[in-house]
Amino acid sequence: MRVFGRRPAFSGGIRLPAHQRREAEATIRQLPFAPRLLLPLRQHAGAASTAVVRAGDEVFRGQLLARADNDSAVPLHAPATGHVLRITEQPDALAGTVQVIELAALAGDTQEYTGGESHDPDRCSADELLAAIHEAGIVGLGGEAGSTHRRLVHARERAVRVLVINGIEGEPGFSRVPAMLARHGADVLAGLRCLRKVLGVERAVLAVETPDGAAARNLLEAAPGGTLPALRVLPPRYPQGAAGLLVRTLAGGAVDGHPAFAADEAVVFSLATVAEVGRMLSGGLAMTDQVITLAGEGLREPGNYRVPLGTPVGFALEQAGMRPEPDRVLAGGPMRGQALAALDRPIVKGATGFVAVAAGETADVPASMPCIRCGECVAACPLELHPAELGFLARRDEWQAMVEDFHLDRCFECGCCAYVCPSHIPLVQMFRTAKAQWRRAQARPAVEAAT
Amino acid sequence: MMPASRRLRLVAAPHLHGGRAVPRLMLHSVIALLPVTVFAVVVFGLAALATIVVAILACLLAERAFAPPSALGDGSAMLTGLLLGLSLPPALPLWMVALGGFLAIGVGKHLFGGLGAPVFHPVLVGRVFLQAAFPAAMAQAWVAPLTGARATELPATSLALPFMSPAAPYDGLSGATPLTAVKAGDTGAPLADLWLGTVAGSVGETSALLLLLGGIYLVAMRVIDWRIPVALLATVAVLGAALHGLDAERHPAMLTTLGSGGLMLGAWFLASDPSVSPMTRRGAWIYGLAIGALVVVIRQYSGQAEGVMYALLLGSALTPHIDRWTRPQPLPEGAER
Ligand code: SF4
Ligand code: SF4
Repeated sequence: MRVFGRRPAFSGGIRLPAHQRREAEATIRQLPFAPRLLLPLRQHAGAASTAVVRAGDEVFRGQLLARADNDSAVPLHAPATGHVLRITEQPDALAGTVQVIELAALAGDTQEYTGGESHDPDRCSADELLAAIHEAGIVGLGGEAGSTHRRLVHARERAVRVLVINGIEGEPGFSRVPAMLARHGADVLAGLRCLRKVLGVERAVLAVETPDGAAARNLLEAAPGGTLPALRVLPPRYPQGAAGLLVRTLAGGAVDGHPAFAADEAVVFSLATVAEVGRMLSGGLAMTDQVITLAGEGLREPGNYRVPLGTPVGFALEQAGMRPEPDRVLAGGPMRGQALAALDRPIVKGATGFVAVAAGETADVPASMPCIRCGECVAACPLELHPAELGFLARRDEWQAMVEDFHLDRCFECGCCAYVCPSHIPLVQMFRTAKAQWRRAQARPAVEAAT
Repeated sequence: MMPASRRLRLVAAPHLHGGRAVPRLMLHSVIALLPVTVFAVVVFGLAALATIVVAILACLLAERAFAPPSALGDGSAMLTGLLLGLSLPPALPLWMVALGGFLAIGVGKHLFGGLGAPVFHPVLVGRVFLQAAFPAAMAQAWVAPLTGARATELPATSLALPFMSPAAPYDGLSGATPLTAVKAGDTGAPLADLWLGTVAGSVGETSALLLLLGGIYLVAMRVIDWRIPVALLATVAVLGAALHGLDAERHPAMLTTLGSGGLMLGAWFLASDPSVSPMTRRGAWIYGLAIGALVVVIRQYSGQAEGVMYALLLGSALTPHIDRWTRPQPLPEGAER
């Protein structure tokens, strides 16, 4: 609690134990091509794209594989030179089924790839840059994985005034932020110039947490010139990197003499997205790979890896020295990551990382006990929901009250409530179930009306 | 390609936990009470020891009877027993202690739905029952501190048989507690004795200083919400000082008010129990304040010498309402993601 000073923008959140930072965390290693790459045509939050190649086609790295017919879709490019083995229908969590292109990578591909035309943000017009971003098939890399082009278009319509670069690590143990700051500094600055121009905004804020403060400061100090973003270094607190919470935090206070701004005047792009925009536009590249963190005690060489799209998760983890028999593998980080049932699924655009949890790495969660009404979860919820009350209602299957009186739909499953609960109540899991039940209950009358 | 034989566990997020756990919270509470427990046995002798042990055993027995065996491991029944033992007069007949302990868990806890569900603190349920059923015994079972034979003899009252006519008071040693003394127009015990605990009183309520240290330990270990005892004690202090200022004849000095009776035990160990206190931080302030005010009002304006117990019960009754008044309001739409 803060006794003096400004009221914090949100009162909840948790302080996770500082994870050890190793030298290796600022490095990025290149992952080799898996022999076979799997490329679903819906890689991100949005509509599927349409294949423009057929089974048997020879493709070269960076060649268009699927085009975007829809505002929310993004084009997909071949991550490797090789040939299309087949195109199959696979089950998909959201859309029922989705087409998947199976690509056999040419053995011995160097992964070098000379891109097309470079786009210099100082010479191209805003619209040319925007078009280039669309053609490169870029999606947000901060975990949200929506079309970056679309996000920019919406932001232009909203006439935003402030560009926020989110340099806050979204998950404990992930280290993409230091890696981007250390290895892709020039790309970050180029991406920043580009996004500024597209949006037509002068003001930009780079937000990082204390451990990355020095690296961010170095980057800005070494910048060749031009208008630099204001730097905000925040004390670590999970989940302040969630875009909305971050904007709330930044909007309230004057930054380096700049006046405060309203939360809806800002648009947020993750540091990784900004860096990739800069890298791809200056190199004329398309989004065919991305930097992810591979973490966990189950790996001999955890760290950041640049992985070609379509690489099976298992292949990537093997390359990072996965020890035999991991206890579980998470798509995403320890707070929000989902445990995977199998490792043959591919790494898609916008993935942030994977964790191989070794057996015995985390103590087994004790059986949950009754709620002791301690209110820890209430204090921890960054959205100031009422997890304990939601928990009571969930046990009685009162989905409607959960949504209508206690705003279940607002919960973004950050996990803070379950993290602090001394009774080990699986609150997030209960909320997920409740949301699914509620959606089903909502959908039913519509189906009945239709039939 | 990966061998498909790996068995991966499908565990729901989050995969980290902060390490807070109910049994640990209970353990910390017991640790916080150890100094005052040892001190009580030194000051009041075998009578105190027997009271505590019997209370704990009765609570464990009731827990075993009403809950699945695994529940014994969470330590909550043990803590209830210890707290009950500490809040009773030392020479209370042991069968009454046992009955109180059994009812504390059986009625106070499990009739309300078990761990976390009680509306009133089970310890208070046990104690109120004893107070109501055996007012005479509860009023006579005080023991003067530091008497010579305390380590070797149990007072006759302790061993009284159930429902027999009360045994003769323990060698005439039964001492008036400081609060009854004040009520009777006396100046009360010397302040140092009061805070150190070398006065007559309930087994573990007498040493305000050791209870305060225990409470600070609980706050340091983040077991309890510091807002509750702080608000409670601050309210008592301010109102107590004001009353003393108005009429020093009738009202004891502020430090006497703070150091006497079950106030410290109630503020740090009973009021702060998560199950009976509000869930929000704003609620904690209101709750502490309300109990503090009730303590002063009941102590000063009613015939009851000891207001803490009733103030705590009334405060717990307020908890659901306070929770409703202070229900958190979600951040505006779009504050996430
Ligand atoms: S998971 Fe949902 S309810 Fe729990 S703390 Fe996060 S937003 Fe709040
Ligand atoms: S943290 Fe757990 S035990 Fe405490 S109020 Fe929330 S759900 Fe109940």
